Amino acid sequence: MTRAGSDLAFRVADQLKIDGPWDVYAEHLARYEIHFDGTHIETVRGPITIDGYGIRVLRKAEDQMGVGYQASADASSSGISTALADAEATARHARFPARAVVLPGSAPRALSDVEISDASLADRPREGVDAYVRELFARFEGRTGVQPSFGSVRATVGETTIANSSGLATSFRHTSVDFELAVKASGGPEGRPPGEYWVTRFQRRLDPRELIADADNWCQRAKDVRVAEAPPAGQIPVVLPAYVLSEIVPPVVGFRLSGAAQLRQMAPEPGTMYGTELVSIDNDGRMPWGGESAPVDDEGTRTGRFALLDHGKTGGLIYDALHAGAFDRTSTAGAQRLGDFGRRAGSRFTSRPAPGPATLALHVGTGGTDAEVIEAVREGIWVEQFGWAFPDPTSGAFGGEIRIGYRIRNGRLAEPIRGGTVGGLVLAAPGTPSLLNSVVTLGSTATLSDSLRAPTIAVNGLTVAGTT
Amino acid sequence: MSELLDSEDRLRGALRRIERHTPFAEIVAERSLGDSVRLDRTSVSPRVFPRLEGAAFRAWTGDHWAEVASTGLLAEPIDRAAEALIGLLPEGAGARPPPGEPTGGEASYTTAPPRPMEDLSIEDRINFARDWYAWATTVPGVPNTTVSMGFFSDERLYLNTSAARRHQRVSRVFASVVPIAIEGGRVQYDALVRGAIGGREVLDYITEERVHDVARSARAMLSAESPPTGPITVLMDPSTTGTFAHESFGHGTEADQFVRERSYLRPILGSMVGPEFLTIADDGAYPGGWGGIYFDDEGRRSQKNLLVDHGRFTGVLHDRVSAALLGGSPTGNARRADFLSREFVRMTNTYVEPGDWGLEELVKEAKDGVLLERCTSGIEDPLGGQMQIKVLRGHRIEHGELTTLVSSMALSGRVLDVLRSVRGVGRADAFEIDPGFCGKGHSDMLTAGTGGSYMLTSAAVGPA
Repeated sequence: MTRAGSDLAFRVADQLKIDGPWDVYAEHLARYEIHFDGTHIETVRGPITIDGYGIRVLRKAEDQMGVGYQASADASSSGISTALADAEATARHARFPARAVVLPGSAPRALSDVEISDASLADRPREGVDAYVRELFARFEGRTGVQPSFGSVRATVGETTIANSSGLATSFRHTSVDFELAVKASGGPEGRPPGEYWVTRFQRRLDPRELIADADNWCQRAKDVRVAEAPPAGQIPVVLPAYVLSEIVPPVVGFRLSGAAQLRQMAPEPGTMYGTELVSIDNDGRMPWGGESAPVDDEGTRTGRFALLDHGKTGGLIYDALHAGAFDRTSTAGAQRLGDFGRRAGSRFTSRPAPGPATLALHVGTGGTDAEVIEAVREGIWVEQFGWAFPDPTSGAFGGEIRIGYRIRNGRLAEPIRGGTVGGLVLAAPGTPSLLNSVVTLGSTATLSDSLRAPTIAVNGLTVAGTT
Repeated sequence: MSELLDSEDRLRGALRRIERHTPFAEIVAERSLGDSVRLDRTSVSPRVFPRLEGAAFRAWTGDHWAEVASTGLLAEPIDRAAEALIGLLPEGAGARPPPGEPTGGEASYTTAPPRPMEDLSIEDRINFARDWYAWATTVPGVPNTTVSMGFFSDERLYLNTSAARRHQRVSRVFASVVPIAIEGGRVQYDALVRGAIGGREVLDYITEERVHDVARSARAMLSAESPPTGPITVLMDPSTTGTFAHESFGHGTEADQFVRERSYLRPILGSMVGPEFLTIADDGAYPGGWGGIYFDDEGRRSQKNLLVDHGRFTGVLHDRVSAALLGGSPTGNARRADFLSREFVRMTNTYVEPGDWGLEELVKEAKDGVLLERCTSGIEDPLGGQMQIKVLRGHRIEHGELTTLVSSMALSGRVLDVLRSVRGVGRADAFEIDPGFCGKGHSDMLTAGTGGSYMLTSAAVGPA
């Protein structure tokens, strides 16, 4: 196998010598990780080097399209030939209801017009991860009764290259960081069992300065877990911050408002009210540092921003080139390669493209600061973290156990709560209760969490199932 | 793409170079193959799985593990990885070995099913999928069904500086039929899923009768009532019982959590945690079990480990280091999701052993409550001792009888409370090991089997 690198898709494309349409998507990734138990380094990893590509061929089959795809890490001449043969073989048996597929044409060779690459991290990844972990440990020095129990920082520096039969040959660089930390609170005279606050984050940048404020919050959450009581039960106003919404909204909205759902008769008609008038959501592939932002989508179409929900009404749907071809539409730069288990499972080149959300932007409202949203709610609960919210793109349902939250009493955050579940539908047709058609307040400022930028929202009508 | 064993000499050469800089090093090389067919109302998608191969190299620095990995098994990526690993090892790393004993010796195992999947042509597989699709969509109100089936073969070679050599090839077959019912903008579905180590015989489970049943269930879900909320008597179906075993006494018994002082279970090892008829095991050698392995990624043979033995919490799952630090023995549970992922203590096939109750008897015993069916997922809280499980559907139990169909629910509760409340476990005729994937945290997904029969207990439920 030859040494793969940032021109991998171009080199593979040069060898294809076949009729179009076809495309090649390739990645060169280097991952650097530190895993720790307490403040002891347990494993240092890296570089974890991944070089791979996927060849897609699109072949007419009567009035449909035969789509063949093969991913490989073997970039030798024979490896490329084998991958191409596999792709052509699967295309002969595959059928997709598109009469034609239009792949994107030329684009600049190197794209850098969307901020998704942390230059400092890209230049010195090992040193960057080392410094981050040192700073993290420093944030816990001198604290009594609160310490990290384990965690990891996994930074990836990558370059994606895409080429196709329409003459596209483009590339862009990106960085990402998966961060996990369990903060444990224990000891003290009260004899209560220890409490833990589990932090998981996906972000594009690695900035140790963020830890200064974060560590105090995490420690307080871990302490609060120890004294939390069961939540009240019933239909209670619920306040959800952006970092909780980011777990729930993108998987469901991103599928149900896509060409893939339309093909399966699951997408709403345009102009249907699927949220309150307060709710507007954009699909924004160019949002700086967004988890699913990039200069082009995973087929090489230049990204942009458009409305999925406009004041509650459904707007456009998300299309990749293939699904656009099924509905005589044009791609909305909605091609994503997320694999069977999502991005964190591995590399995007292993999966063929399908419609998926870019970074989503839930518009801010007029509800003010978090404190003002809470004040407006008066009585209810604030969910700080679910164990897991189990979003189900097909049914639209979600629901999870409250890992840590707070009662809202007299318009202020009160005692911590834990246990019980909060659940319902994320979005639903008019007349059916759902998260988005029960939003009563949106805060005035938005924060980015993974692939959602959103304000804190208050919702009436979700069911809270307590444990008592 | 070369054969995995073609790279063995190169890997051994790299290991010899690394050995000069460390008291212990090991290599896990992997090559995966497989293919699948996915079919629904509008499309047919045959797929050959990514042709991936590569190796992870791990060595002891004297204080912690250092590790590198790379795709590719030719000389260049192997040499590059070996040099990178040596660069991570400090001078004098040879002074102190890692905790625990290394494996040695040689062994090799390969799945040899009587009817290998490879014998089925792609046309045959598509025809299978078309039949299943047709069976499901003959049910009125089910306009679409997603059918998937396929196999993957995971081949691994383990070598270490203590002369161990392990070679294994595990072949897994999976199939799923997911009928989708749609009405007035509402979407509901149900799922018939099977997966196991083996060959075509795994597909025999997908019968016309079972597909009709699951399609009718998807249609009925459109008119399902809301589930009950709050604390209630719950009867778990086999899929839910299996996930309960996994989330309750699975993750909490992974001994790396003990080393981190992150398991609420550590102080109660040896205590009674449930009724005497309750036994929970993790068994990497369970015949055909989806999460099975012949060896773990430290070269140890997989085995059956009793976690709860007749109500008493008796065992935990170890890798080399956790066993050494906690005075135990390695249990064959050191696993990597793939050659790009690190080793952790992980489960294999985790299950509640069957009891002696029939389903009707358990429903009568429940009197009033809810039957949880078709578990989709779960998550644990190893320190706090909480867990939650999501199911696709259920039935109310009223006056000792199954009554109304109810929609998807999440169960939550304290593991020890749920265990102490167990009142009965179903018979072996309902026992099954379900295929699933498990993460350590939110990442490192790998195959994990979950199993059980019906189980009656109490917990809190709510819509999800």
